[in-house]
Amino acid sequence: MIVAEQKPLEEIKSMLAPYRKVLILGCGTCVTVCFAGGAKEVAILASQLRMATRLDGDEKEILEATVQRQCEYEYNEEAADLIREADVVLSLACGIGCQTMNQQFPEKLTLPGLNTTFLGQPTEQGVWEERCQACGNCILALTGGICPVARCAKSLLNGPCGGSQRGVCEVNPETPCAWQLIYDRLKALGRLDLLLEIQPAKDWRTSRDGGQRRIVREDLRL
Amino acid sequence: MNYVKHILDELGLGSERLEMFFLSSSEGARFAEIATEMTERARRLGPSPLRQPRPMQMEDKP
Repeated sequence: MIVAEQKPLEEIKSMLAPYRKVLILGCGTCVTVCFAGGAKEVAILASQLRMATRLDGDEKEILEATVQRQCEYEYNEEAADLIREADVVLSLACGIGCQTMNQQFPEKLTLPGLNTTFLGQPTEQGVWEERCQACGNCILALTGGICPVARCAKSLLNGPCGGSQRGVCEVNPETPCAWQLIYDRLKALGRLDLLLEIQPAKDWRTSRDGGQRRIVREDLRL
Repeated sequence: MNYVKHILDELGLGSERLEMFFLSSSEGARFAEIATEMTERARRLGPSPLRQPRPMQMEDKP
C-alpha cells in the first residue's frame, strides 16, 4: 500500500491561513489502512482545526468528507458539491489523490495534508516498512522475494557491501541488511546458485531516470 | 491516550486535562480519591481556553 503520515498541525494551519471555509477530504483506500487519511483521521483533524483556529482567533468553517479513492475522478465527483462550496480543499490522500483533485477541479486549490512516504507493508501493529520502489523492472525472482532496490540503502544488485554488520545495515542499526536477508532466504530455499550470477548494472530507464512514467493499455481504452 | 494528550498539548489546551484510570467497581475509596484529584487539577488549570466567549456573530444577534 501507499504509506503516508499527516503533516504537522502548524504546517497545515499555515497553509490554510488565507482561507475561511475548508473541506478536509479523506481517502478510503491506502491512507485509511495506514491510519493517515481515512474518515477517522478526517474527523480528528477537523476537530483539531476547529479548536486550533478558534484559539488563534481565526475560526474557520471545516467541512468533512471521505471518498473511496481520491486518485479516481468518479469517486471525487461524489463530493463535488462540498468541494465547490469550500474555499480550499485539504487532501488527506497521498500525493496522487491530491494531484487528481487539482486536475479534476482546476478552479479549486487542493492542498496536501499528508506527506506521502513510501510503498510498504504493515509489519506489526503500528509499524510500516518500505518494500517497493516501483523501479519498473522487478527482480524479486533473483533475490528470493526480498527487494534490494527498496531495502538496501545502496540498492545494490550484488550485495552485501562491507557495511553489513551482524545482519544489520551500517546506515541504521534498526534496518536489517537486505542482502543478509536475501542470502538467508536463498540458503533456506536451496537456491544459493542464484547468487553465483553477477547482475549487470540495472537499466534505470524504467524507474524515475526516464522521467514521468505512463502505461497505455490499448485493449482497455475507449 | 498518548496520541490524544499529544493533540491537547499541540493545541495549547494541555494534556493534563485528560487522564485514564483503571479500577474495579469495588474500589469506591480510590474512585473518590481520583475524582477529588481531577477536580483539584481542573480548578488549578482553570477553564478551558475554548470556553472563552466567541466574538458576537450574525446569528447571535437578537
